[in-house]
Amino acid sequence: MFRRLSTRLTVLYAALFGAVLLVVSLAVFFAISNAAQRQVRNELSATGTVFDQVWSLRSDRLREGASLLSRDFGFREAAATHDAATIGSALDNLKRRMGVDYAFMVDAEGQVAGARFAPADAAAIAKAFDGADDPSGVLLLGGEPYQLVSAPVLSPDLIGWVVFAVKLDDKEMRALERLSSIPLSAVVLHRTAGGAWTASHAPAELMAPAVRRVITDGLKARAMPQVLDLASGRAAALVKPLPVLEPGGGAVLLLRYPLAQALAPYRPLLIIVGLLGVGGLAVVSWGSWLLARGVTRPISELDAAAHRLQRGEEAQVEIAGDDELARLAQSFNAMAAEIREREQKITRLAMHDNDTGLPNRLALERRAEALAEGQGPGAYVCAAGLDRFAHMRGAIGHALAARAVRMVGNRISGLAPACGVARISTDTLSFVIAADDAEAAQAEVQRLLELLEQPVRVDGEAIDVALSVGLSPLAPDAVGQSIERATIALDQARAGRRKLALFDAEAYGDPAANLSLMSSMLGGLASGEFQLWHQPKFDMRAGRISGCEALVRWNHPTRGLITPDLFIPMAEETGHIRALTEWVVGQAIADQRALAEAGHHLDVAVNISGRILGEPDFLDFARKALADAAGRICFEITETAVIENPDVAMAMLAAFADMGVSISIDDFGAGLSSLAYLKQIRGHELKIDRSIVQDVTESQRDALIVRSTIDLAHSLGLKVVAEGIETAEVFQVLAAMGCDHAQGYLVARPQPLSQLFEFLAEDHPRLRNYG
Amino acid sequence: MRERMRMLALLALVLGLAGPAGAAELDLTLSTGAGKPVSDAVVMVRPDAGHGSARLAGPFVMAQKDTQFQPYVLIVPVGAEVSFPNLDPFHHHVYSFSKAKTFELKLYGQDQTRKVTFDKPGVVALGCNIHDNMAAYIRVVDTPFAARTAAGAAVVRDLPPGPATVTIWHPFLKAPDNEITRRVTLPASGALRLSVSGDLKPSRLQRGAY
Repeated sequence: MFRRLSTRLTVLYAALFGAVLLVVSLAVFFAISNAAQRQVRNELSATGTVFDQVWSLRSDRLREGASLLSRDFGFREAAATHDAATIGSALDNLKRRMGVDYAFMVDAEGQVAGARFAPADAAAIAKAFDGADDPSGVLLLGGEPYQLVSAPVLSPDLIGWVVFAVKLDDKEMRALERLSSIPLSAVVLHRTAGGAWTASHAPAELMAPAVRRVITDGLKARAMPQVLDLASGRAAALVKPLPVLEPGGGAVLLLRYPLAQALAPYRPLLIIVGLLGVGGLAVVSWGSWLLARGVTRPISELDAAAHRLQRGEEAQVEIAGDDELARLAQSFNAMAAEIREREQKITRLAMHDNDTGLPNRLALERRAEALAEGQGPGAYVCAAGLDRFAHMRGAIGHALAARAVRMVGNRISGLAPACGVARISTDTLSFVIAADDAEAAQAEVQRLLELLEQPVRVDGEAIDVALSVGLSPLAPDAVGQSIERATIALDQARAGRRKLALFDAEAYGDPAANLSLMSSMLGGLASGEFQLWHQPKFDMRAGRISGCEALVRWNHPTRGLITPDLFIPMAEETGHIRALTEWVVGQAIADQRALAEAGHHLDVAVNISGRILGEPDFLDFARKALADAAGRICFEITETAVIENPDVAMAMLAAFADMGVSISIDDFGAGLSSLAYLKQIRGHELKIDRSIVQDVTESQRDALIVRSTIDLAHSLGLKVVAEGIETAEVFQVLAAMGCDHAQGYLVARPQPLSQLFEFLAEDHPRLRNYG
Repeated sequence: MRERMRMLALLALVLGLAGPAGAAELDLTLSTGAGKPVSDAVVMVRPDAGHGSARLAGPFVMAQKDTQFQPYVLIVPVGAEVSFPNLDPFHHHVYSFSKAKTFELKLYGQDQTRKVTFDKPGVVALGCNIHDNMAAYIRVVDTPFAARTAAGAAVVRDLPPGPATVTIWHPFLKAPDNEITRRVTLPASGALRLSVSGDLKPSRLQRGAY
């Protein structure tokens, strides 16, 4: 949640303290709140008791006053004799003296004298005084609550009551409120006919249902203050029932005291607690931040140093104190120093050649890149190869040869300061020269060669130095490729027996494209891109077409017809030759069958690569495939194929022969021909290479070789096939020499199977005539 | 007080014996609706035939003793003179605002007697202006046939036979003018029994006499 440790620690401590503070504050608040509520309740209860006494005293006082009149002999006489004027004046006098709102007399029949009331109020009074003893209590007159107190008039019979009525209005309530030690508010509520509680001058909020419930509960639980929720806030409330004169009526005195007001005296205390809490929180936060920073600063420094170390920069940390963190920093410093040391060593190893101590290819690339960026065009990479290095090493030993290389390298670096020298392979040193064009570069290299090809002295012995140099322009964005091309140019120079060669892209071809060609070969085999063409062989003795050589053609979907000269060597290099050979063998057998079914019984020859002869399991394939061959199958094999791995190859050829396969020794006379192997191979046929055959009519020597070869073959029990016969003259010479079979454009070009059918359908008097 | 009542009963007996022979008698019982006997009620019989020259005999005394009037209810004929002896060692101020007789006997001391003549029939409520708890009633009657109930019963003797009106009065009887009236026919001789029930108004001035 927090990325920084110091923040986390600060927040943790502050949160803990805050939580404790909150608990304390809540405890204080509730304690105070409870105390205040309790105090309010007590005050309310006390006020309630006081009110009872006040009410009783007041009633007594009024009753005394009324009694004073009702017992007065004169008044009784006036009342008994119905002297209305006297009664009225006496009541009026007393009303003024007592300060009451009404003073009147009610006689035994309920008739009111001495005051005028509305008929409804008069009826209510009559009802209240019907059959009651000295009635006293609250009565509504004109909708307002009045306290009525009465005293009987006895003369000596009860002839009526002197009644005082005091309105329970705001003035009375304020007077009552002043009696309390707490600032409470009092109001008299009366019950309406509908059962609701109302008051004419009370605030509207007292009409709420909560008030009614409080009154109902209050009437049950006497003298118990309750909590009342009003629109103006929560208040403590005490309900005091008042005696009523109206049957079924009800009146209560509601004393209430807002709790907010009760809490007001404690507010400063609460504010102080709150301020102390906030202040404490700030102090704790600040303190924990300081503490956390003290702990985390070394860690942050270590973190930053680790990042510097990662970037390969100086990463030492300042050590302060001797605690765990300081020890960690110490260890870190030691580790950082060691890592840098090792890194330097590794870098040196990575950038230098171990034998000679010269920079290596990577180092050259780095420097050449920097150079290319700075210099732009006009630079050439040179790959200087020490000629016959293997011989030299064999002669003087590994260490001295390496020393010689180093000396040449040093010589180069002294002459070509552009970016030093590097040993990029065992016998090759590379460097960069500045030159505007290829000609200038070659001239410069020529000049350098003269200086470099001085003998070097190793342990006092002079060793001749001969160098071949490949050149390639330095491409700023492909330095590696430039170096590569320089080495290829070196190879090209050596192949051309030149001292110096510029990279020739055309001669090099496109190896990447070739590689992709190989990867598409397997797919091509499956999807029918390959085809077998057949070149017929003419039996010179029998005068007829006796066989054909199966030659593979690849019709590539995007590159068109690809010559076997290109893809066969590649297939041999990449191992695809096995799949290709299997396909060719299978197809040759199928084609032979097709020919046989058409009545043409031909021997079919298939070229088998020397690579295949190293794979004994090819025998299994061949055995299975040849089982359903419709005629004789011949495997054409070059002598060189046998020379590479003679024992395995010989065994394999023997196995083929056992299987009934004819073995034909191909290209005889083109490469190295070893009579020793010729003697060993269990062959059936010898094919004389076209290079000898073609000149048989021109060169006496060639004619002699051919004749001798034919004789040699015949004496070894081999048939002879002459390849590349293009003219009738050659045909006739060879026929005269005793050659068995002829193959070449004169006989027929290689052709697809469909054309071969047509060719075979013809008669061939032309060929027979040559013979 | 009981002794005095016995004396009065004896007096009545003597008077009855002196009257014409073979006269009728009314035996009245008065009780509340709840069955409690009512005392201090006055029973008045007014024969349709009139009452001749018969008259209740005196003397009629309403004494003040122990801060009480004695008796509580006194029956006197119209025109009777009632003496109000003060037997207490302090003053009384006897008054009445009743229509039948309004009078005032201002502060008089021990063993002093005042006399008042009641010349109109009706109820005279007596009070003392000094002592609120003192109350008594004088029933001024216009018939010689009247008696007061004791323990809920009263007997009116020497009544002439024939139809008559019986009126029962009690100061707190729940009835118009505190009176209940019954028409009866008195027999030639013997007793007519009459049971009447009537409730009393509650009043703290009532005596617990019944």
